[in-house]
Amino acid sequence: MDIFTMSFWGVSLILIVSSFIKSKRKTFEAMKKTKRMMGNMLGEIIAIIFIIGLVLTLIPPESIKSVLGSSNTILATIVAAVAGSVTLIPAFLAFPLVGSFVDVGASIVPAVAFLTTLTMVGVVTFPLEKKEFGFKFAMTRNVLSFVAALFIAMVMGVIL
Amino acid sequence: MSAIQIMKKNRLLIIVGVVYATLFATYPQQASKAVSNSVYYLVEMFEVLPVIFILTVIIEAWIPKEVIIKRFGEKSGFMGNMLSLMLGSISAGPIYAAFPISKMLLSKGASVANVVIVLSSWAVIKVPMLANEAKFLGVQFMAVRWILTVVAIFLMAYIIGRLIKKENMTVSIEDHEKEWLEVKKEYCIGCGICVKLLPDVYELNQNKAQVKALPVKGKYIEAIQQSIEKCPTKAITFYGDKTT
Repeated sequence: MDIFTMSFWGVSLILIVSSFIKSKRKTFEAMKKTKRMMGNMLGEIIAIIFIIGLVLTLIPPESIKSVLGSSNTILATIVAAVAGSVTLIPAFLAFPLVGSFVDVGASIVPAVAFLTTLTMVGVVTFPLEKKEFGFKFAMTRNVLSFVAALFIAMVMGVIL
Repeated sequence: MSAIQIMKKNRLLIIVGVVYATLFATYPQQASKAVSNSVYYLVEMFEVLPVIFILTVIIEAWIPKEVIIKRFGEKSGFMGNMLSLMLGSISAGPIYAAFPISKMLLSKGASVANVVIVLSSWAVIKVPMLANEAKFLGVQFMAVRWILTVVAIFLMAYIIGRLIKKENMTVSIEDHEKEWLEVKKEYCIGCGICVKLLPDVYELNQNKAQVKALPVKGKYIEAIQQSIEKCPTKAITFYGDKTT
């Protein structure tokens, strides 16, 4: 657990204890409501996690290297953005991976597209997002994020 | 809950289970690799979800609707956007961890645009991640990407806020499938009047009436009202048609 998550634990434990002291009844009521809401999500979250494991096995993170290294930048950018959308590589793995590549002299445009869709677009989490916020919202948010990632990548290619 | 309902609710989990079972039967090595790959994320989930649970409880219990509307609502303006950006940026955990809190905010009156900002910045902007990015790709790279991402998030929030009205979203956090009509077991004496009135809706189980199947939206409303009135112990509660 990193220090950031740990401080979150600290803060929320203090909050929940003071909430109990202030009003037991109110806290319990809110807990019941939240439990119901999150209970509905839990099964899907676990399913999503096992899908991620499966995707990581079928498409190992190293395979992104061949995509980023392609000489056709436009094609590489789009493929990298798609790859970032469907996979969920932990950030602490993704940055060194991409970094090692940029160091060798590869174009940063596909790299940025990959890094951005990796976190913003979630094909795997889409079913859950759809269920919780509605199809239209989930679809629009993911499509726009994909476009935004391409845009960010291109601007960065021009600036840097 | 019947077996079919449980299966329906966990459809995705069942599909994933079947895929894994097939994989274990055909390529056991790949399957166990996939399981061990998942472990990292499972650990992450258990580290983050309890915190999310507590924070959502705190918002639900102590932050009044008016405050959310004022700070995150349609009229909260630029300050509301900045506040959403901050909330998303100091977050922990993957994007799905943002769903419960975002949903709670939405149901308490936050605007669609601000929810988009919370969700997106939750996914992309994180202090430990930024430090990591600067380390491997350089401070300049990180800073430029951060600025462009914030701009993109604001643009997206504006567009989505325009395109999608709250009414089109599934925002109710009540589990309305089960709870808008209910027979209180403690009061029911098992007289069977409600079952006679509406055999499609009520049934007797171990001498107590219970809701068998919820009627389609709007259907039987009058008959339901009647069954509530006729019930000698007033054991039937009707919370209004929350499915609308």
